[in-house]
Amino acid sequence: MVECGRHLNIELLTLSEIDTISGQPGNFLVTLRQHPRYVDMDKCIACGLCSQKCPRKVPDEYQMGVGTRKAIYISYNQTVPLKYVIDKDHCIYFQKGKCKACEKFCPTGAINFDEPEEVRTVNVGSVILAPGYKPFDPTGFDIYNYEQLPDVVTGLEYERLLSASGPFQGHLVQPSTGREPKKIAWIQCVGSRNKACGNGYCSTVCCMYAVKQSLVTAEHLHGDDIQQTIFYMDLRAHNKEFERYYNDAMAKGVRFIRSRPHSVDPGEKNIGARIYYVTEDGQQVREDFDLVVLSVGLEAPADALELAAKFGLKLDQYRFADTSSFAPVLTQREGVYVCGAFSGPKSIPRSVTDASAAATAAAKNLVTARGTLTKEKTYPPERDVSGEEPRVGVFVCSCGINIANTVNVPEVVDYAKTLPYVQYVENNLFSCSTDTQVLMAEKIKEHNLNRIVVAACTPRTHEALFADTLREAGLNGYLLEMANIRNQNSWVHQQSPEAATAKAKDQVRMAVAKALRDFPLQRLSVAVSQRALVIGGGLAGMTAALDLADRNYETVLVEKSDKLGGNAWFLNKTWKGEDIRTNLQVLIAKVENHPKIKVLKQAEVKSVSGSVGNFQSDIIVAGRTETVSYGIAVLAIGAEEYKPNEYLYGQDARIKTHLEFDAELRERSAQVAKAGSAVFIQCVGSREPERMYCSRVCCTHSVHSAIKLKELNPDMQVFILYRDIRTYGKREDLYTKARELGVLFIRYDLENKPKVRKEGDNLLVEVVDPIVQMPVTIPADYLVLASAIVPRQHEQLMELYKYNVNTDGFINEAHPKLRPVDSLVDGLFLAGLCHHPKPINESVSQAMAAVSRAGVILAKERMSLDAIKSYPTEKCDGCALCVDVCPYMAIKVEEYRDNGQVHRRIVTDKALCKGCGLCAATCPKDGVEVHGFTMEQLQAQVDAVVAGFAQAGA
Amino acid sequence: MSAQFEPVILGFLCNWCAYAGSDLAGVSRLQYPPNMRVIRTMCSGMVHPRLVVDALERGLDGVIVMG
Amino acid sequence: MILIQVITLAERLGVHRNTIRNWVKTGKIPARPAPGRGLLLSREDFQRLCQEFALDPGSLNPRELALAETREVVTVPVALALHASEQPERSRLPITFQEAVMSDKVVGSVLVVGGGIAGIQAALDLADSGYYVYLVEKGPGIGGKMAQLDKTYPTNDCAM
Repeated sequence: MVECGRHLNIELLTLSEIDTISGQPGNFLVTLRQHPRYVDMDKCIACGLCSQKCPRKVPDEYQMGVGTRKAIYISYNQTVPLKYVIDKDHCIYFQKGKCKACEKFCPTGAINFDEPEEVRTVNVGSVILAPGYKPFDPTGFDIYNYEQLPDVVTGLEYERLLSASGPFQGHLVQPSTGREPKKIAWIQCVGSRNKACGNGYCSTVCCMYAVKQSLVTAEHLHGDDIQQTIFYMDLRAHNKEFERYYNDAMAKGVRFIRSRPHSVDPGEKNIGARIYYVTEDGQQVREDFDLVVLSVGLEAPADALELAAKFGLKLDQYRFADTSSFAPVLTQREGVYVCGAFSGPKSIPRSVTDASAAATAAAKNLVTARGTLTKEKTYPPERDVSGEEPRVGVFVCSCGINIANTVNVPEVVDYAKTLPYVQYVENNLFSCSTDTQVLMAEKIKEHNLNRIVVAACTPRTHEALFADTLREAGLNGYLLEMANIRNQNSWVHQQSPEAATAKAKDQVRMAVAKALRDFPLQRLSVAVSQRALVIGGGLAGMTAALDLADRNYETVLVEKSDKLGGNAWFLNKTWKGEDIRTNLQVLIAKVENHPKIKVLKQAEVKSVSGSVGNFQSDIIVAGRTETVSYGIAVLAIGAEEYKPNEYLYGQDARIKTHLEFDAELRERSAQVAKAGSAVFIQCVGSREPERMYCSRVCCTHSVHSAIKLKELNPDMQVFILYRDIRTYGKREDLYTKARELGVLFIRYDLENKPKVRKEGDNLLVEVVDPIVQMPVTIPADYLVLASAIVPRQHEQLMELYKYNVNTDGFINEAHPKLRPVDSLVDGLFLAGLCHHPKPINESVSQAMAAVSRAGVILAKERMSLDAIKSYPTEKCDGCALCVDVCPYMAIKVEEYRDNGQVHRRIVTDKALCKGCGLCAATCPKDGVEVHGFTMEQLQAQVDAVVAGFAQAGA
Repeated sequence: MSAQFEPVILGFLCNWCAYAGSDLAGVSRLQYPPNMRVIRTMCSGMVHPRLVVDALERGLDGVIVMG
Repeated sequence: MILIQVITLAERLGVHRNTIRNWVKTGKIPARPAPGRGLLLSREDFQRLCQEFALDPGSLNPRELALAETREVVTVPVALALHASEQPERSRLPITFQEAVMSDKVVGSVLVVGGGIAGIQAALDLADSGYYVYLVEKGPGIGGKMAQLDKTYPTNDCAM
């Protein structure tokens, strides 16, 4: 987020709305209406004085109305851009014509009540729409009594109650009394899976957010009398690691009740709430809770209709953008793409994946114009400071009053002047302001400074800015140190200004001590091979290859078998009814005929060397070896269908897996239509102790097949035996349709699985019906087993690329939410089933996303790497203690000859090294160090602390 | 020295987690005693045991490595 | 290009599938084999084929592919094309779309509407790969809904 605000090539247009759009793909003209902020973004330094002085309190929408903010405000502390804004509807001046307190107190004169609305026109090649979602508003649905009862809150409100940055600082309280709640209930599917409120779909994320909230709550509350209950219909924990998370919640005592409560009434004395529900076996229950959380669903944003009309997009019946499974981010309008919850409710990782996919789609049309509008910064040549005595400049920031109110800044300035080698000290009101940067550069030149210390906020947000200033002044950016006297001092020691001032002096002394030992470092620059390798020629792999090639990168596609297409050959239709084989044939034709794609069939990767930007592999193709060099690789090795050893599979031709039954439907549908009954058993091999994950596609597939059977022969008895029906998102409509067509759904428990037996020629399935609580026996003409998706054997590849897998054997992503298509190995991306079971649209989206992530690396012909890397010193004797501790496998031992003697020493791979310094801490003889964090530098800081301690003690 | 014992504690904080957390404590204005002096490292694994022993030997009251 | 299945043609003509394949090889049928036991042929050739054998074109269940009509190499169109019946209707310009008045020049910038997690990710990917991005947000700051979440599952990471 911060990255976005600082990016040279991203222009943030806040408070803006689309007005009109014209033009064609590749060249659109869009007019935007930018509402006034009434605060000058260049002048506002986010000191917060205005907000402190503003007399008007407003319910805080960021805190979901739990708590207040002022009429001039920032949404939250880390907001981007960090600039205040006046809420015109609540500002006293705008409403009554008097006040202007903020203007009076603003130290930089940033307030401008006369700022006009602006209209801007931008010329762009593509448009991506990501307007997000709106949480369902339960107001007006009297069964929940949401408005009347203070102790009934929505899921998002509850997030704020739990949050450390929330209105109660993370202390969970019952809103009506302020006491800690003991009994908390979640009601699922509020505003989802409910035709009555118009939302027939499943919102996909609520089951898991409720489970998460229950687990987080368990960390907040203590005592034996804590009880958490989740009322649900089907628990849809279908994403990666979710099933285990759900089981964890059950193990920790969260109570799961399969029931949709029919009413929520006030509790005693209007405290808490009383829930009425019917259990699965038909008992009426009335139960009191201290707090009730409504797991509200996701709806299309209110402005979706308007946006869709402006862009000429088709929306579905729920006002989500309508997209196809094979092109999940494309719209009916060429050049306009959608991502995120706009095209249907989805979780964070799927939104992020979609977003990257949309980026690929948007970029593909603009390949010829790539790099024509982006800017790159240039710097003057660096001054050579070697041989110069250190001349340190110290800049102490007051940060308005943020630092100066607690720390005695003039005292720190005077103190800094006494430190060795310090030539120049200055106090700035705001060290980070643009004019200070200019001033700083001047002072560096004027005083010939060669080490700079900035005592201000945190290097994590501002080091890059100051390093930039150094470079503009002709100094190496690594000659900078920061003393964090705001975030780690003035803000956290507001009650003890004296101690804070003493600490600030220590911090400056430590920073100067380290700066004296700073040396210019060069960022590493390595050439990037502009070629890509895609492993796996299934749907995901082919999509990735095609998109890479369309983005003008030479691509090698490696397929193990003699045929492209993978699992998709065995499937008939997507859940939306699109024909899979036809689309597959189109895709294969395109891939095989693309001039930039080289398809290697019957091929396997045999070796891998190098790292991101520069991989090399030997590939065995039908017996001979080909060597390929490439900058990035996409892993799309797929997965396979689990071959069951339960339910008499393999002993009767009528018992089939999903893929086998699809073939039956494809080739012998007339015969299938004659069947009198068909039984589907769900979760065959999934969600069991040895495979604790949901295979995600099977519920939808069974429901889809069941509908097909009912359409072939309405008199056929079709049963689906399930544990939870997980037709997430808009797939819920299929489930509804199946029930309407008379498909019978019978739930079973893991402890009480269905039994299959043969009596003579009859195939019988016995299952305990939970409603009548009696076993029922169903004769089956077809028994379809919804068997799991299991990972393929890929140990050899894993060994070669050093990626890792989760307990189930699916490849791990770099971050489960924010980097869902990057693997943990730089330059290696994931797509399709090898990451986790998923339907076609998600595989395609992930493949396109992988291309986008890869495009970031391939966009540059040279790649610059941070200079903070480990390096061997002359003391290294090759003892190799560090080799094993290195988590990135960046250290190797080499032998060399000196005076006829063979010696050993280590070599570090700068591209692999992340500068963590585990090697340095392990080495008993200072044989390996990390640039910018040498032992000498760390020791100097320790010395500086000890010196201060000795001084204070004296 | 003041009448009350005021320990000096040396903290090694990992840039990616503990140091970031410490920054966030500031943003959230969480107040804590001003006795710690922080050295930022690229990873808590970077802290050589020698540094810790040295700091304690020379009289610091505590060392905390967070990461 | 038109895609038909070998088996369909064989059935209609009452010959074996291999006969069809032989005819393709010898050039009697002006088509080339396509993946998945299909045949690719140009629209003209398809029509000629139907006339020659007196076939109802619809009975062959032809699929129109958005591939350029060339003899040797099939070039690839920009968008991931769907076959004809599923091709989304290219909506004619609604009122707000004026007829294109600008040049055909391709512009190297992208407009991203929405500053939530999806918009941010799209913007970063594009800006990092050589495109200038305008990120438009209705509200005063970016971050969207995710900034309001306390923690995220399954790792209980902080959402910020």
